[in-house]
Amino acid sequence: MEKLLNKNKFDTLIAGLKKQGYKTVAPKKDNRLVTLEEVQDASEISLDHVITNNSIKEFFFPKTEKILSYTLDKNKVEMEEPKGFAVKSVIFGTRPCDAFSLPVMDKVFNWDCSDKFWVERREAITIVTISCDKSDSYCFCTSVGLAPDAKQGSDVLLTKISNDEYLVETVTEKGENLVKEMESVFSDPPGTPDRQVATVEEKFDLKKIKPWLDDNFEHDVWDEFSNKCIGCGACTFVCPTCHCFDIVDECTMTKGDRVKNWDGCQFTMFTMHTSGHNPRSTQGMRWRQRIMHKFKYYVEKFDSTLCVGCGRCSRVCPADMNISEMLELIETEAGK
Amino acid sequence: MIEELRKKAEELLKNDTVKVVFGYGEGSVPERTRPVFITKPEDVNKLTWNKYCVYNLTTYLKRQETRKLGKPAIIVKGCDARTIIVLLKECQIKREDVYILGVTCDGVGDPLATKCESCDVHTPRIYDDLVGEKKENKEVPFEERYAELDEYEKLGEKEKWEFWQKQFSKCIKCYACSNMCPLCFCDRCIVEKNQPQWIDSSAHARGNLSWNVTRAYHLAGRCINCEECQRVCPVDIPLNLLNKKLAKEAEKNFDYRPGYSVDDELAMSTYKEEDSQEFFK
Amino acid sequence: MDNIYRPYLMTISDMTDEAPGVRTFRLNFSDEEEGKNFKFQTGQFGLYSVFGAGESTFCIASSPTREDYIECTFREAGRVTKALRELNVGDTIGFRGPYGNVFPIDKWEGKNLVFVAGGIALPPLRSVIWNCLDLRDKYKDVTIIYGAKTVDDLVYKNELKEWEARDDINLVTTVDPGGETPEWTGKVGFVPTVVEEAAPDSNDTIAIVCGPPIMIKFTLPVLEKLGFKHDKVYTTLENRMKCGLGKCGRCNIGCTYVCKEGPVFTAEEISKMPDEF
Ligand SMILES: Cc1cc2nc3c(=O)[nH]c(=O)nc-3n(C[C@H](O)[C@H](O)[C@H](O)COP(=O)(O)OP(=O)(O)OC[C@H]3O[C@@H](n4cnc5c(N)ncnc54)[C@H](O)[C@@H]3O)c2cc1C
Ligand code: SF4
Ligand code: SF4
Ligand code: SF4
Ligand code: SF4
Ligand code: SF4
Ligand code: FES
Repeated sequence: MEKLLNKNKFDTLIAGLKKQGYKTVAPKKDNRLVTLEEVQDASEISLDHVITNNSIKEFFFPKTEKILSYTLDKNKVEMEEPKGFAVKSVIFGTRPCDAFSLPVMDKVFNWDCSDKFWVERREAITIVTISCDKSDSYCFCTSVGLAPDAKQGSDVLLTKISNDEYLVETVTEKGENLVKEMESVFSDPPGTPDRQVATVEEKFDLKKIKPWLDDNFEHDVWDEFSNKCIGCGACTFVCPTCHCFDIVDECTMTKGDRVKNWDGCQFTMFTMHTSGHNPRSTQGMRWRQRIMHKFKYYVEKFDSTLCVGCGRCSRVCPADMNISEMLELIETEAGK
Repeated sequence: MIEELRKKAEELLKNDTVKVVFGYGEGSVPERTRPVFITKPEDVNKLTWNKYCVYNLTTYLKRQETRKLGKPAIIVKGCDARTIIVLLKECQIKREDVYILGVTCDGVGDPLATKCESCDVHTPRIYDDLVGEKKENKEVPFEERYAELDEYEKLGEKEKWEFWQKQFSKCIKCYACSNMCPLCFCDRCIVEKNQPQWIDSSAHARGNLSWNVTRAYHLAGRCINCEECQRVCPVDIPLNLLNKKLAKEAEKNFDYRPGYSVDDELAMSTYKEEDSQEFFK
Repeated sequence: MDNIYRPYLMTISDMTDEAPGVRTFRLNFSDEEEGKNFKFQTGQFGLYSVFGAGESTFCIASSPTREDYIECTFREAGRVTKALRELNVGDTIGFRGPYGNVFPIDKWEGKNLVFVAGGIALPPLRSVIWNCLDLRDKYKDVTIIYGAKTVDDLVYKNELKEWEARDDINLVTTVDPGGETPEWTGKVGFVPTVVEEAAPDSNDTIAIVCGPPIMIKFTLPVLEKLGFKHDKVYTTLENRMKCGLGKCGRCNIGCTYVCKEGPVFTAEEISKMPDEF
């Protein structure tokens, strides 16, 4: 289904969503950052950015969440299931790369057995994406098979067609239902809309990456490229497709929670055995894991690249480690 | 100045004074530089110097990956050189194990970093060799040095609490702040210890408060305000405000500013009979 | 939808001190129904939790042929294992599992079996040893070579005696040089050397090796020398694990999630993995 949405209808849309019982999450400006956050009305929404600083991930897989609660009484334990974590919501104005990270992550959270904390949120949340009308030099969606107006993962896709108009395309049934629910804010689309979509240069040829990785687990480039990396978690935490986590208990004498926390392969402690033995003892090995996981292991296992080209990891890296540069380097090595 | 730097680096590598030069190289975008580690004289052209050289490269003195490269020459601005003084005093490095290539500096960052506004170390206070024209290190009055705290200190207790609650709630526990900090050099940080679990590892209100406050406290009287922690925080928490506040208190109480002299007595690890605190005795 | 992170509640019904710092718990399902429906196969592991301290990975050290309980043997190492040691008979712990793949004991029927274990790595082998011993007539010769640092460090001392007394098992025990006592009648020497001396016949034989990485590293070449083909040698890997379910991303070696496709691997499979364990 195609529709048209005028900017001056945002107010009615957000208010309408609220009335229908949706929580709305949208980009909001806060000092130097633009973050996806809950908004109460359209005036809070900011759309003048390339991409939000935080990714869509935290709404499906929060930085910390309870996976079990319990009470302790002498040697009696009562367990209680966390409730109310999947809230009916609309994420409005996320980007196509972020939206695509969802079907990519569905694979790991559902293979063999399903993680209900992910799955139930997936069901409860509707994704309304806005195609990118600008990009920056960190973006490389086109190198990983996406585009600034890609539809995969969105329920509804909006694309700018004039200063204050968006073309509305429904992608899934869920999206179609949402548009129907809010019917009054949309109008009929023009015949030949002029879609304002950013151009994103293709930086490397994805087809050349995996064959090189297959053969080069041992290579000097891992250490050489990563010697400036300080081994923090910034790149993996801002990444929409990094999904590693830790499980810890937090409690008082009488009650406690088991929680699932973001964790990442760039930390020294991540793989360290209690004995002190560490299978990935250097940053080069950890950096290799990151690239290998995203461009080889995940591809082999789940038939999908674990990177959507959003460029966030490179933007935040304290040491200016740039992932697309690494991939370009691999492409060069592969051509040698 | 870039040429002079490259020449010095080349010399040091050629005559085998050092095995590697820690310096600044071109970044992935024009508004950034990045740390580079030059091991071959023919690579010195990768070195650069401009207003984007914000990094405090001394953090690489603590990392096993860069230590492995051999004895370094390290390019330091005046503020970075203060870190070297602290590292020397805290026995983290030996003087003979690093070659200090000081650069004189008019300030970095775009817009100019806060630390540079009240800089009193345009010329490093410790170096083996100096690149750039020597500049006078003018003493900056106490109030001016802590001017960025003015607004904050006007807040009431409750407002301060709310301010930090809001800021810390953003923390994602990525530990970029502590990993980047040259003075956070513990092999195993207190957050990585679980017996007992001093700090909840979860990024919730309690865990974030205890993490951020503990980190700041462990730097009190040591932090040289290079602002690296704040620069690298992906969620833009004004960590500098916290560090500055503690630095101010340390200076007020102990008349101590770290990183100015290798001969002074450290504020936090010097015992004095006349200490005003009773519990010490 | 079920919560895959929700553990079973288990009651500690018995405990045995095996060696300094090493203890075995016998665990029964607090809910009988759950206990009846619970099935596992030898080689599998689980996540055992002390409520308030966290979860820790141990293999199931008992044999599936003993149906009314499971056992785990753990060494006090860190936070969770310390908390486990503070528990007593009657206390409740959590258990998630069974996870991972299994020792393919059906495929081994009619063959000789050689078990080689070092240190605290006997628990995973104990499960498969008992499993095979409970089905003794399906296998030919059974040899068990087990070594520890000192006599004191040998675990399952009672079971070792039991195995020693049986004439359908060839048991060789050894302690590292300096770890012997005056009464010690077993061998003195490192496991790889003792395996070489014992020289089990590799013909129609399966070898199962568990131990610290360093022991495995030195034992595999010895077995090769004795004529064991890589696909006839089995071992288990112990990567740090959190979920046990192929989600948390911690345990992989290359494309292999050790918690799902492991922890049991043949030497053949391991030789194809990147060197990251
Ligand atoms: C498949 C498999 C089978 C095993 N079988 C056995 C067995 O039968 N018997 C046995 O004794 N051992 C076994 N182990 C090893 C055992 O899992 C570890 O020795 C044990 O988990 C460590 O004990 P801990 O939890 O007390 O250690 P800790 O290191 O204290 O860990 C406690 C928890 O905190 C986390 N943690 C630890 N350190 C940190 C840190 N610095 N920062 C943040 N979090 C941290 C850990 O991940 C863990 O969840 C097995 C391991 C595997 C993978
Ligand atoms: S690549 Fe950058 S963000 Fe990632 S761990 Fe290294 S320094 Fe941190
Ligand atoms: S790896 Fe980097 S570019 Fe790729 S999805 Fe993650 S944050 Fe984005
Ligand atoms: S790149 Fe690292 S942190 Fe990200 S999903 Fe893979 S292993 Fe986990
Ligand atoms: S705490 Fe921050 S400002 Fe202080 S020395 Fe460390 S990185 Fe620099
Ligand atoms: S860098 Fe910022 S987000 Fe990361 S741990 Fe430090 S304060 Fe928290
Ligand atoms: S233990 Fe979590 S993926 Fe294997």
